[in-house]
Amino acid sequence: MAHVSDFLTPAELQKVANLQVVAQRVVEGFFSGLHKSPHKGFSVEFAQHRQYVQGDEIRRLDWKVFGKTDRYYIREYEEETNLRATLLLDLSGSMSYAGAGRAPKADYAIRLAAALAYLMLQQRDSVGLVTFDTKIRRYIPPRSSVPHLRVLLDELQSAKPGGETALGNVFHDLVPRIQRRGLLIVLSDCFGDSKELLKALAHFRHARHEMLIFQILDRDELEFPFTHWTRFESLEEAGAHRMIDPAQFRAAYLDNLKKFQDELTKGCHRHHIDLVQMVTDQPYAEALAQYLTRRLAR
Amino acid sequence: MPDAQFPPQRRASAHWSLEIGNWELVIRPPAPMTFLNLLLLGGMAAAAIPVLLHFFNRSRPRVVPWGAMHLLDAALQAHTRRIKFEQLLLLLVRCLIPVLLALCMARPVLTGMRALLGGAKTSLVILLDDSYSMSAGAGAASNFAQAKDAAAKLIEQAGSGSDVAVVLMGGTPRQLLEAPTLDTVRVTKALTQLEANFGAANFPEALELAANVAAQMQHGLKEFVVLSDFQKASFSDGEAAARGRALQTLKRLPVPPRVTFLHVGTESRDNVAVESLDLPKLALGVNQPLQVRATLRNFGERAWPDLRVYFRADGRERGAQQIALAPGEQRQVLFTHAFDAAGFHTLEVHTDADALKADNSLAAVVTVWEKLPALLVNGDPNPEPLKGETDYLDLALSPALKAATGGSDLILTRVIAPGDLTPDALSKSRVVVLANVRQLADAQVAALAGFVANGGGLLVFPGNRVNTDWYHRTLRAAGLLPLPFTALAGGLEDGKPRAKIVVQSFTHPAMELFNDARNGNLADAEMKLWFQLGKRQEQADPGLASLAQLSNADPFLVEKKLGEGRIIQCAVPCDADWGNLPVRPVFVPLMQRLVIYLASQAQPPRNVVVGKPLAAFVSRTHVGRKAHFTAPDGTRHDAEITGRGALGYVEFTKTGRPGTYTLAAPDGGATPFVVSTARAESDLRQLTEPERKTLAESLQATLLTSVADYQQMDKDRRFGREVWKPLLWAVLALCFSELLLVQWFARRKGGKT
Repeated sequence: MAHVSDFLTPAELQKVANLQVVAQRVVEGFFSGLHKSPHKGFSVEFAQHRQYVQGDEIRRLDWKVFGKTDRYYIREYEEETNLRATLLLDLSGSMSYAGAGRAPKADYAIRLAAALAYLMLQQRDSVGLVTFDTKIRRYIPPRSSVPHLRVLLDELQSAKPGGETALGNVFHDLVPRIQRRGLLIVLSDCFGDSKELLKALAHFRHARHEMLIFQILDRDELEFPFTHWTRFESLEEAGAHRMIDPAQFRAAYLDNLKKFQDELTKGCHRHHIDLVQMVTDQPYAEALAQYLTRRLAR
Repeated sequence: MPDAQFPPQRRASAHWSLEIGNWELVIRPPAPMTFLNLLLLGGMAAAAIPVLLHFFNRSRPRVVPWGAMHLLDAALQAHTRRIKFEQLLLLLVRCLIPVLLALCMARPVLTGMRALLGGAKTSLVILLDDSYSMSAGAGAASNFAQAKDAAAKLIEQAGSGSDVAVVLMGGTPRQLLEAPTLDTVRVTKALTQLEANFGAANFPEALELAANVAAQMQHGLKEFVVLSDFQKASFSDGEAAARGRALQTLKRLPVPPRVTFLHVGTESRDNVAVESLDLPKLALGVNQPLQVRATLRNFGERAWPDLRVYFRADGRERGAQQIALAPGEQRQVLFTHAFDAAGFHTLEVHTDADALKADNSLAAVVTVWEKLPALLVNGDPNPEPLKGETDYLDLALSPALKAATGGSDLILTRVIAPGDLTPDALSKSRVVVLANVRQLADAQVAALAGFVANGGGLLVFPGNRVNTDWYHRTLRAAGLLPLPFTALAGGLEDGKPRAKIVVQSFTHPAMELFNDARNGNLADAEMKLWFQLGKRQEQADPGLASLAQLSNADPFLVEKKLGEGRIIQCAVPCDADWGNLPVRPVFVPLMQRLVIYLASQAQPPRNVVVGKPLAAFVSRTHVGRKAHFTAPDGTRHDAEITGRGALGYVEFTKTGRPGTYTLAAPDGGATPFVVSTARAESDLRQLTEPERKTLAESLQATLLTSVADYQQMDKDRRFGREVWKPLLWAVLALCFSELLLVQWFARRKGGKT
């Protein structure tokens, strides 16, 4: 049976201008496909026990306490102890690449970020946002209040890609600014010096942050399907270009890409970082699923 | 283009130019090449198409804003050089394809030799095989007709200004016309009237003649074309040495000629030939039975189960036999006939077989003698019967007369004393026998030497009276004694060593009779005393022939030639004083054979193969006058009589046709000669293709099979060779290579183009 989430393709959602609507559709479309809804809320930080009163959910009873004291206590969680997630959105020039008939990678990343923010706030988690290119453009610290969604969406709405990438430097700069440990969700194509990037990620891990990277790529970047003489103009460095017959270099390019990906994957694995490759023609739902899997694992 | 480099007239003709504004595009063929469709060379401009396409594509690139520049840059750094090389290679191939195609369509002609040959006139020598094997095949389809046709075409092609000579290879090689000529019409006319010769092809001699003829010809460039069926018999390896010599002759020419072998005709192997006639080598007497052994051979692959063989004597059929001849088989047929009159007689063995008639019969002339006069010079006469020196010999040479048996003797003997040996007596004899003659006067020796030199025979027997010193100094010095009488051996007393004649397989014509023991056993005779003849080194003289020897290895009979005649020397006397030879039955045939042999040598051969000269001795009185030869076709030819010693000599060389030629001497005497075809030609097998190739290579010649091939080769050499075919192949190969390269590069790159 066709499901709502099946239709939530990036191409379809591209037509909807309102980010909130997009985020809602994505999240709700996604959840309506699950048997067991995670909507009941997750406890991220334990606060205290309190006496059971009639009407409390049986599943929230603390059976260990019951075992020790023979009394019913309920586990309670404090709001400020909710998950602190920060979305790190790459707005460098390379994110503005769009293959024929597809949205730019940056748009895809923005919509995905919006969906994730919406989802997390729905779960009363705190969500923050960092946009950056060679340096940090904007830092919105995590909040869990509902109006915070508007702040995030406004920021995402106004985000425009441009400039060069230097993920390593940016991340190094970020580490001291995100003091409380939490979940960092990176939305980037990760293009650039992989060694520097891995060093920076290690830095985050050292600060005991959990990390999830959505590597957002265009199908063209994965397959390099160009045939005629092409002038490749750099999206990051103004005026830089390469005039080549791409068919001649396809194999070499793909070879290089594979090496780069292997290096990145291994590095992430080494630092226990989840790396999820998203292609801009893939539904956002897959990204949400990855996030929730990660969330459940905590 | 500076005019100084190219003379105006050459510029006008040797290149194609196109003026566009101030620019001039000049296409100039390389010096050794010309084009039949020069304008189509313009198609070479299509070579620019791949280059233009390249630049066109580059000039209108797709623009892609690209993010993953670091990945692209790494690929560019690592592969740009290789890819540039591949691209250049492909571009080169793609440019070459239209260039070669245009070249191909312009029909280029290589004219590397043109400067040498183009307008140059050549001297053409055609070596035409007119041997009678070329007559195989019928009428217009005969190999010879084809060869003549080919020769006519070659002459026609030679063009005006080229001089032509035709050397005929059959029999004795000769020229068709007396000298090389520029008048090709005359040569062609003479060719049409030419008939095949009846001789065998003599390639080495023909080549030598051609080399000599070529030396007299006008032009430096000489072409030799050999038109032949390349019959095995004439071109076998056996002739290699002779061919080598001929080749050396060719190389000595200022400009060695180019030799081409042109094989004409087809191989026809059906042929039966009367290969040879085995005639007695000794003079024949009236009514003496003559045994003619004819050898027939079937050279073909067809069996002849009932082949009839006829024997004709003086034109009348005297006998016939029927034989079977399997393929490749050789058989002999024996005919016996006795002529009842003295003089020259012709005999012929003939068979009804295949179409190549010339070798189906073989004829010969035999001389039948009434008498052979022999002069016996008795050095030790004795009135008692059988005591005189020549008594036994006289009896042995004319037994019928002496024994009054009523028969007829071939040899007519006359016994004289040494003093009676006069020129007059000599002139009436054919053989002189010196029997135990002490010595002769110098005048007698001179007369005797003249007698032998003019064809007479001399038989020398020693004895107890001979002055060995005189024999050595005078007779041997005059050439009339093969070996000196050095010392006596054996002894008359009992107990002294004895010697016998060694019976062996005799090869000498005078002794062949004794190979059959029924004709007498020479070993019966025992010598008590004998002369040793010469020393070892004297016996080794190559001019000497040993007829027989004694059991102690001393010579018994030796022979030497002097002028036209021969001398036979015996180690023992012809009487019974020193041994028992004269009383043995074998004495009679032995003496008869020796005398008849000596008497038979006087005349040159009367049976010759075509092309060989006919020669005869006539009386000296006719010197300076003319004799007449009548050819088989009835034509009469005059021949000058020249002096040779005491005799007149006449020779006739135009013996190209087999048959009977008759010599009419001024005194009216007629002498027949038989000219036969050379039987070597009867084996019609030809050299196989590889054999012909080897032969051609050994003479550094080119081997061709048709006039068209020759014309093509000659055209190529004179006017260049069209090379569009290899160019077309090259274009196809390039197209294919381009395809392969593209696929190969694409596979390496893992992409599509």
